[in-house]
Amino acid sequence: MIAYFVAIGIVSLIYALLALGLNLQFGLTRLVNFGIVAFFAIGAYTSALLALAGVPLLISFICATLLAGFAALPIGLLSLRLREDYLAIATLGFSEAVRITIQQEEWLTKGVQGLPGIPKVFASLGTSQADNALFVLLLALTALVAWGTVRLTRSPLGRLLRAIGDDEPALMALGKNPTKFKVQIFMLGAGLAGLAGAFYAHFITFISPEQFLPLVTFYVWMGLIMGGSGTVRGALGGAVLLMIFLEGSRFIKDWIPGVSEVQMASVRLAAVGLALILVTLYRPNGLFSGNSKT
Amino acid sequence: MIQFLNLLINGVIEGLVVALPALAMTLVMGVNRFPNAATGDLMTTGAYTAVILQALGVSSLLGATVLAALGTAIISVISYELIFKKLARQPMIASLLAAIGLGFLLRSVISFFAGHDQRNFKLPLVRAWNFDGVRILPSDLNIAAAALVCLLLVFFLLYKTSFGRQLRAVSDNPDLARASGIRARSLMIGLWLLVGMISAIGGVLLGMKAVVMPELGWDHLIPAFAAMVLGGIGSPVGAVLGALIMCVAQELSVPLLGPSYKLVLSFGVLALVLLIRPSGLMGRTELVR
Amino acid sequence: MKNPTSTCASEHLLAVEKVSCVYGGFKAVDSVSFELQPRELLGIAGTNGAGKSTLFAAIAGQQRASAGKIIFDGTDLTALEPYQRARLGLVRTFQIPREFKSLTVHENLLAGAPNKEGEQLFAALVNTQARQQRERELSEKADSVLEFLNLAKVRNVPALNLSGGQKKLVELGRVLMLEPRCILLDEPFAGVNPVLIDQLSEHIVTLNQQGIAFILIEHHLQALKRLAKRLIVMDRGSILAQGDPQSVLDNAQVQVAYMGGVA
Repeated sequence: MIAYFVAIGIVSLIYALLALGLNLQFGLTRLVNFGIVAFFAIGAYTSALLALAGVPLLISFICATLLAGFAALPIGLLSLRLREDYLAIATLGFSEAVRITIQQEEWLTKGVQGLPGIPKVFASLGTSQADNALFVLLLALTALVAWGTVRLTRSPLGRLLRAIGDDEPALMALGKNPTKFKVQIFMLGAGLAGLAGAFYAHFITFISPEQFLPLVTFYVWMGLIMGGSGTVRGALGGAVLLMIFLEGSRFIKDWIPGVSEVQMASVRLAAVGLALILVTLYRPNGLFSGNSKT
Repeated sequence: MIQFLNLLINGVIEGLVVALPALAMTLVMGVNRFPNAATGDLMTTGAYTAVILQALGVSSLLGATVLAALGTAIISVISYELIFKKLARQPMIASLLAAIGLGFLLRSVISFFAGHDQRNFKLPLVRAWNFDGVRILPSDLNIAAAALVCLLLVFFLLYKTSFGRQLRAVSDNPDLARASGIRARSLMIGLWLLVGMISAIGGVLLGMKAVVMPELGWDHLIPAFAAMVLGGIGSPVGAVLGALIMCVAQELSVPLLGPSYKLVLSFGVLALVLLIRPSGLMGRTELVR
Repeated sequence: MKNPTSTCASEHLLAVEKVSCVYGGFKAVDSVSFELQPRELLGIAGTNGAGKSTLFAAIAGQQRASAGKIIFDGTDLTALEPYQRARLGLVRTFQIPREFKSLTVHENLLAGAPNKEGEQLFAALVNTQARQQRERELSEKADSVLEFLNLAKVRNVPALNLSGGQKKLVELGRVLMLEPRCILLDEPFAGVNPVLIDQLSEHIVTLNQQGIAFILIEHHLQALKRLAKRLIVMDRGSILAQGDPQSVLDNAQVQVAYMGGVA
């Protein structure tokens, strides 16, 4: 029983890291990233492949974070000149391009067969203790990232990023060039997503391209909007709401007779779609909160 | 050389079909000023409606397509009335997210009831014509012809009727159009009906060319968007040109990259255009930056 | 901040030479030329659609001029982005105020001010000495600007909650933080209550006396007549008349363009 809640907790914290990353990009700086899952996938596969090749986990995690961050550089540069909807579709296209590439380059990633046997973090402690330890580690890490985000938001840099998000041309008319900052924040958010991906891979121990569909990106978006974008509280709260939704749907399947697993996936997709529509219609504050300090 | 011709022909045929969703997207982009990310799933809706009607006994493929187009058109208008009209005053990202959500909703309903298996239209078996190695499937020619006819009808609508003139006026200059008293409501409904219809027809044609599956439209969303950007936002001619160029480029890339990388290539084209010449071939820069 | 090489040896602060802005066949600005001396206060008037704001956009860089040259303090601005032009000392405000909505009034002034020390990722997490010191300096400066503009009362109010007139003052405050040489004010009095208009006029006069050149776009001809030493009237993209306010406003063509007389 406890093991179940620990598992839920771990996945929640992974989503929390994703949400915190997106919150930096969109909540603070208004960069519309519809390609989060790409960096999640890059982090997952990087760490998994390195670990399976014998690299110590600490190194593989760091590499995963760095590689995901650097993969954001070309996209970040693209973002400099684009209006938000173009950036959105471009990042969406990027994430699909990454997924297809992972799927096709079987020599590296084993394609649709996936990578089994990814070593767990703290494997030496035995299965249940390993998960407990992982939960504690993730909790500490998420708290650290949350703290860092709050400090960032309240700093002069945070003020600048909020100004960029509010009205970039007006800021440029004051002599500031937002370029460097937008790219930095994009890479930072991507690195966080990569780190989350590494944790994910080493928790579920098997990854394949179908786990990295755009749906994951929009799970994170949905959570962030429901919780309230622009605040750390909102990002964390959204991750919790998201977990309740995902786990809840699992239980519903057990209660409704005659619904197969496949159909359940459709129901979940419908729920996300409906949630996105309803939230944009009836909770605009979820997307556009005004003042945000924490 | 022969392989080049084969790829070229295939690219042109596919380009004519992809021109339909690209056109649908560029019209909405020009008038409502947001990328309708549900376009792909509207295509899927059209394809499934037609293929199921055919399976249920509607003998005329044309009839099934017409019904599918009408049904999808109605869904499209409903989506405008219930969702996008209300989001018009909000920042565009709201409409974009809602469109993604709508697409998910459509796709989930389809996959829930119709399953994930691939379906095929019942088409007469044909043999490819062979001109010294250059192969053309008559069915593909029919598809291309159908797409062309559809495109010509839309262009007639856009350039020879007052509805089309008003649509283009609103697209070019919304403030001026409002001031000159163009009846916005009926124009919008007409637009969204049109968008639904051409998306549905595009979906049916794609389904005929290959298979019908839930990801049919979604897989063509990025290529359609890339075609629109390449051709220039808001330019109907641009959308068709962009689709043709892009699909030919996709086909020509197959010997180098393999068939599975087509979508990656379309993303590459998109990124390149956005970096070098965001206004595309025929569009205006103000809409991009 | 000044560029030592002059493309045109002159004392003009700003020289606009035959600038045109053409969009799809429509000439928003048609071969406009004028000069601005240092410390001068120039007014630009004209009916809606005369091209005034487009001209500002071309000078400040938000839009590219299709033809002509713009030279500020000896530097050719043609290839420069808006932020580069601002760093040379040429700044602008906007017709519809563009305050940073998620920031307070005080923060609005700080956000635009140069702050290398504070705007770094490392400094964001670690409160370095350099960052603290710069913050203190900027904060004091911002407070004195707010004091000057009578905005001290609303220092910590979210900028989005201010009145239209106050927002315009915030925009002015933001550009003042940059210690500019020349400020382009786009309709500063539009939608502002008369009391505030008088206050704003006084601020502009004071700043002008302190050495800042101004170009003012305004419909409010009375205010413009009081403030501007020289007036340009535009009509349909080109300059109709140029000179001292009274004679320009007496000009028959100008009166016709404004349809039956001047306010």
